[in-house]
Amino acid sequence: MTGKKLLLVSSALMLLASCGGNPESSTSSVAPASTDSSNSSTSASSDSSEATSSSSSTIVENKTYTYNIYTTVSPSNWNELTYQDNNDTQIMNYLAGGFFSYNYKFDEKGKIIPGQYDVQYGAIAKAEDVTLTYAGEDGWAVPLDAESGYAYEFTIRDDIKWDDGTAVKAEDFVYTMKQQLDPLFKNYRADSFYNNSLVIHNAYDYVMQGTVGFFGSRTLYGKYSADLDDKLVFHVGAPLEENDPYDGGTSYIYDWLAGNGDDYVAAIAKAGFAATVNAAYGANYLSTEAEQALEGKTYAEIKADATLTAYFQEFYDFWIEDPETGILDFFVTSYTFPEMDFSKVGLFADTVNPLKFTLVLDNSIQLFKEDGKTLSYHAAYDFGSLPLVKKDLYEANKHEPAIEGGLWTSTYNSSVASSASWGPYKLTSFQAGKEYVLERNENWYGYNMPEYRGQYMTDRIVCQTIPEYETAFLAFRSGDIDGIGLDVSVAADYKNSKRAVFTADDYVTSMQLQSDAAALKGRESEGIDKEILTYIDFRKAISVGFNRAEYTNKCTTSSLPGYGLFNSMHYYDVENGGVYRNEDVAKKTLCDVYGVDVNAFDSLDEAYASLDGGNNLTLARSLVTSAYNQALADEKISATDKVELVLGAAVDNVSTRRTYDYINGAIKEICVGTPLEGRIEVVFDTSWGTKWANDFRAGAYDICTGGWTGAAWNPGYFLMAYLDKAYAYAQGWDTEKATLTFNPYGDGNADHEYTMSLMAWWRCLNGKVKSSDPYQENWSDGFVDNEIRLNIIAALEGEILKHYYSVPIANAFTAELISYKIEYASRDYNTFMTYGGIRYMTYNYDDAAWAAVKGTFDYKL
Amino acid sequence: MYMFKYIMKRLGLLLMTFVIIEIICFVLIKALPIVIDIQVGKDRDIIDAQLRARGYYDPIPVQFWNYIVRIFTKGDFGICLNLPEHRNHPVLEVFSSKLPPTILINIYSSLVSVPIGIMLGIFAALRKNKWQDQVISTSVMVFISVPSFVYAFLVQFIFCFLLGWFPLLMKSGYDYFSWPMFQSMIPAVISMSFGSIAGYTRYTRAELTEVLTNDYMLLARTKGLTKAQATTRHALRNAMVPIFPSIIGEFIGVLSGSLIIEKIFSIPGIGGLYLTSINSMDYDSFMFLSGFYILVGLLASLVIDISYGIIDPRIRMGAK
Repeated sequence: MTGKKLLLVSSALMLLASCGGNPESSTSSVAPASTDSSNSSTSASSDSSEATSSSSSTIVENKTYTYNIYTTVSPSNWNELTYQDNNDTQIMNYLAGGFFSYNYKFDEKGKIIPGQYDVQYGAIAKAEDVTLTYAGEDGWAVPLDAESGYAYEFTIRDDIKWDDGTAVKAEDFVYTMKQQLDPLFKNYRADSFYNNSLVIHNAYDYVMQGTVGFFGSRTLYGKYSADLDDKLVFHVGAPLEENDPYDGGTSYIYDWLAGNGDDYVAAIAKAGFAATVNAAYGANYLSTEAEQALEGKTYAEIKADATLTAYFQEFYDFWIEDPETGILDFFVTSYTFPEMDFSKVGLFADTVNPLKFTLVLDNSIQLFKEDGKTLSYHAAYDFGSLPLVKKDLYEANKHEPAIEGGLWTSTYNSSVASSASWGPYKLTSFQAGKEYVLERNENWYGYNMPEYRGQYMTDRIVCQTIPEYETAFLAFRSGDIDGIGLDVSVAADYKNSKRAVFTADDYVTSMQLQSDAAALKGRESEGIDKEILTYIDFRKAISVGFNRAEYTNKCTTSSLPGYGLFNSMHYYDVENGGVYRNEDVAKKTLCDVYGVDVNAFDSLDEAYASLDGGNNLTLARSLVTSAYNQALADEKISATDKVELVLGAAVDNVSTRRTYDYINGAIKEICVGTPLEGRIEVVFDTSWGTKWANDFRAGAYDICTGGWTGAAWNPGYFLMAYLDKAYAYAQGWDTEKATLTFNPYGDGNADHEYTMSLMAWWRCLNGKVKSSDPYQENWSDGFVDNEIRLNIIAALEGEILKHYYSVPIANAFTAELISYKIEYASRDYNTFMTYGGIRYMTYNYDDAAWAAVKGTFDYKL
Repeated sequence: MYMFKYIMKRLGLLLMTFVIIEIICFVLIKALPIVIDIQVGKDRDIIDAQLRARGYYDPIPVQFWNYIVRIFTKGDFGICLNLPEHRNHPVLEVFSSKLPPTILINIYSSLVSVPIGIMLGIFAALRKNKWQDQVISTSVMVFISVPSFVYAFLVQFIFCFLLGWFPLLMKSGYDYFSWPMFQSMIPAVISMSFGSIAGYTRYTRAELTEVLTNDYMLLARTKGLTKAQATTRHALRNAMVPIFPSIIGEFIGVLSGSLIIEKIFSIPGIGGLYLTSINSMDYDSFMFLSGFYILVGLLASLVIDISYGIIDPRIRMGAK
């Protein structure tokens, strides 16, 4: 009996094991390193070795160099067409080559010149600006007077191959783009080619082709004209779940209100638009009767009926934004994106030369500097590469829609079997949630290039998934991984280590303060006030009274006090190394925002330096008192009310609780000696999970800490994170209505003084002006002097900061320990090259030598 | 025959309960608002189109119907849309690849903890109120009170990091029955066993202590049985009536894995997958895992009920 039971258990185990068996296991074994430890190269003493232009190292036969890293979340989808987050790019970046790339700039002795860079050719052998060929031509959107930046002919190298030796041709890039934009897939990354800096002609229309439905009329037409009357259908309500005649299509005005959160979506669905507006704004602006009468009527029908016209006027009077576009805001229109052949898209292969293709853009991006020959920084930034998939493998991994009318999907680049590489490494093993291994791709064209000679010393990259930091830290100390971020819990012991590397980050941590007055009021209860947060003086008090230096010391490993939306990593003029935060206009903005009297100092720099993490409690407390008195006068708070603000977070861990404790203490400190002393409390709520940001935007709680990273070389574009409703935390602040009057030229000329909404300023700054905007200026990169753009960025930054909905508190720095096994090219961080990456990484020990010594180092020293 | 009818009846009820809970789960998860987190520069239309094409905007009954049809006509349980580490992978594939390490670790742990726990419990019961019992009982209280992740960190630090007897992490690969793989699992198995051993010891001691004081034990001894014979043949068998189902329950419980232990030892198992599917609002993986755990739970209760009859012949399920 016992024997039978054991047999059953064994069988079950075997069965389950075979269920989990993976064909990739057969490829997971890697040849052991046949190294001679006695020949180990250098000692581990050097922490400042720098690469040189000639050869930072030479690849020695019979030695294997493995770079061991770890990740907390393993990648799952490194398909360039569909990847979703940075975890996926871990593998992706090694499997892809690049058209152009940054490189260090070296002096005549071959030493790295700090802070400078070069741009070099990679997979592209030849590039030519052919804008004049397409300027003003039918079928393209290249302006007649355009001379450069819109169209390029690229010739790829003739030795580009996949890891299995298959040659890559220009047609493969065209095939890949066709797949990228395939309307049957609607790939996650399709918008990279129409919604970002690189706008390929007709990319959007190709993706959307065949899409049928109702769309907001303003989106479709932009500007009202009488011939549209029959196409405009009044619809301000919510889409209905069942039998929605508009198939989810919504008007601009619905989106405008619904953008303020799920509460409004639910309210509109239940009570209608008019009732929701009235409830939200505390007045009888709109009547439900009018809404019901107008719903579903065309504008032509409304015009033909006096009663309906009067009803419509009621809505229009409430809204009036712009006479030409405002009308469109109430309507949806049925529209079908027409079928389109891919030949109309701005990427096509040459019919004669199989290595040549042409790229035609809707926007101008200068590949070359003014001399027309030298590559600009845009070459590696915007034209770094186009996606490339291996056709046969991609086709084999396509999957039909699961339901009728659904989308096709692809599992390309999600396992070893479905992966292909044209980059320096290839994937040889992958186990989800556990480990992946990359090995040198001997077919990479770069190994034939003199520019890469002596580089890429790493033979293998082994990445283990280790979710727990404590475990990872033990693995680092054991020598099993070659780098680890320094957590605040161990920072005190290790931050003075010779192996510690500190890196500035473009991320700015901000305290986000709730901007939705109705939501704040709605969450008040008997004796509990929250509306104090609607007073700008109170928000300003938090900003000027917050001790950023103390916060960064207590709550972060290595961050520094932050005051602005941008830090030292944001470049407004990449070509000339122009760091935004170093410019006078940017410094003056912060002085203005934080009440520093520049005239009281000998220089602007001194005034700026006086910020220095300190907190102005005197000013803060007077502002709290002022806000309180005003709230009392407005009957928003009573003399006995307590203020309770909820600080939300995704999780409750040591780090978030430490931040909460500090913020709670800081806000109480700011209120000492004011009428709110002893009457204010910040409550910690970690129930929001991954929805914390959306919930904050929806007005569900009062304070969160969060920020943005990305677009560090385009701060003007990045301002959208604070201004655009699609992204901003401050959903209660209407940046389409808040205005700024300003002369960006700074020349005192009254004709150069503009008054427009903040979003209109942003659109002008980024070449995305709408016909409804009051000015049709184009102040985008390359169209005006950088100084003018700088002035606008600084003005918008100041305007955002002065509303105190986003209160910057820390400029992020990352800190890491690197093992004695590896060396970076340089310990001087270079924003273009970081520390040289895997390309320039060198080794003090090969694998065999490291195995003998790996656990013997004390990283506290 | 009684038992057969009973089992058939229970299976019918089980199926009905399963369907009802599945429907409730589906409706509740679909009733939650869809969270769309747009990164800077992303086009909301693309994300909307993806969701629409997956039927997320359809009425819930339509979605449920499509879900059922998909499963029964194509065996398709869906694709993980938001589940970190598994985006774009079929739910079934993810589940089947993560189940083996979890089951193995937990079975090894049970194989260690059940005999040791029961033996210690018997020993403590037989030495009731003597110093051996005091030592065991005190240790049991300590091991039950301290959470398993504390042992895990201690085991990892002492045996893996300081002494270097075992690897810090579970070995990668799919060679689940190789020696290096087994060796890499030992720290996790030890960590999981402490609590279980203590639990079984306490339970066995309590049950056996009670049984040993019964009159029939005195009768057995007066019949001429030795203490060992009486304990083994009479006391232990009766004491096992409540203990054995708990062992079965634990074997079934292994399917859910241990979130913390798996994280600490980097075990690519199923622990935490359910929680992650809820947090990331990954509908297909949530529904599949819900169904799986509901079914396992219902079957477990049936098996445990039936097991009473096997252990104790006096218990007859379904008999009037």
